[in-house]
Amino acid sequence: MGPVYLFDVASSHERWLSLRQSAISSNVANANTPGYRAQDIEPFNKIIEAKVVPVTVTSPAHITTGSSVEAQGMRKEKSWETVHSGNSVSLEQEMLKAGDINRDYSLNTAIVKSFHRMFMTSMKT
Amino acid sequence: MIDPLQASVQIASSGLEAQSTRLRVVSENLANANSTGRTPGSDPYRRKTTTFTAEMDRAAGVRMVKVKDIGTDQAPFRVDYEPGHPAADSTGYVRLPNVNSLIEMGDMRETNRSFEANLQVIKQVRSMVSMTIDLLRS
Repeated sequence: MGPVYLFDVASSHERWLSLRQSAISSNVANANTPGYRAQDIEPFNKIIEAKVVPVTVTSPAHITTGSSVEAQGMRKEKSWETVHSGNSVSLEQEMLKAGDINRDYSLNTAIVKSFHRMFMTSMKT
Repeated sequence: MIDPLQASVQIASSGLEAQSTRLRVVSENLANANSTGRTPGSDPYRRKTTTFTAEMDRAAGVRMVKVKDIGTDQAPFRVDYEPGHPAADSTGYVRLPNVNSLIEMGDMRETNRSFEANLQVIKQVRSMVSMTIDLLRS
């Protein structure tokens, strides 16, 4: 466990952030499409709660818990505004979410980098 | 399904393309804001409109945007009394295009804003990719 688990969480978080970025790109591209409803993906804590701490499989009779982040349902999100054409994309909200993603992504890569450096340091000595 | 970050760039570029088509239509409207017919009683330029639609891209598994069609505005034409005009009808009235420059300007600003938002998405994806590449450095 320990650091290996950390890298696992970091990479699922990275995949989750990329998927969310693609959902947001879709929203921004369709910001002027009549009848388009803004989308978002399941929050990350739901996914991480679903897999909790992975239990080690030591016998073939054991069942595995949790899987990687693959199919989270796209969901219609609660939007700030819906215009007359039925479009519920608010560009401000999307930019805010994009900022969140950018920050989380940089935090994620910074953590991975720092742990990687720690590994490297312990190898050198 | 392709890499979500790569898909994001594709989606944003489909948005950029749709918005530039819209800007082209807006500029057509503005350029023709005073284009009348040539013969007496003929129709002037009719305002064009752009409609977008969300389209599922099966290869990427994401929803892109594309221009559904470029239609025409069915609003009535403006009329002006000008008997000497070549397009004036028997009563001396000329029909002018149903283009309102203020509406076109508003449309242009909205196009600009959406274009900028799409560009911002591309910029951000690029920075995210370079953050990942930076993991290999040092």
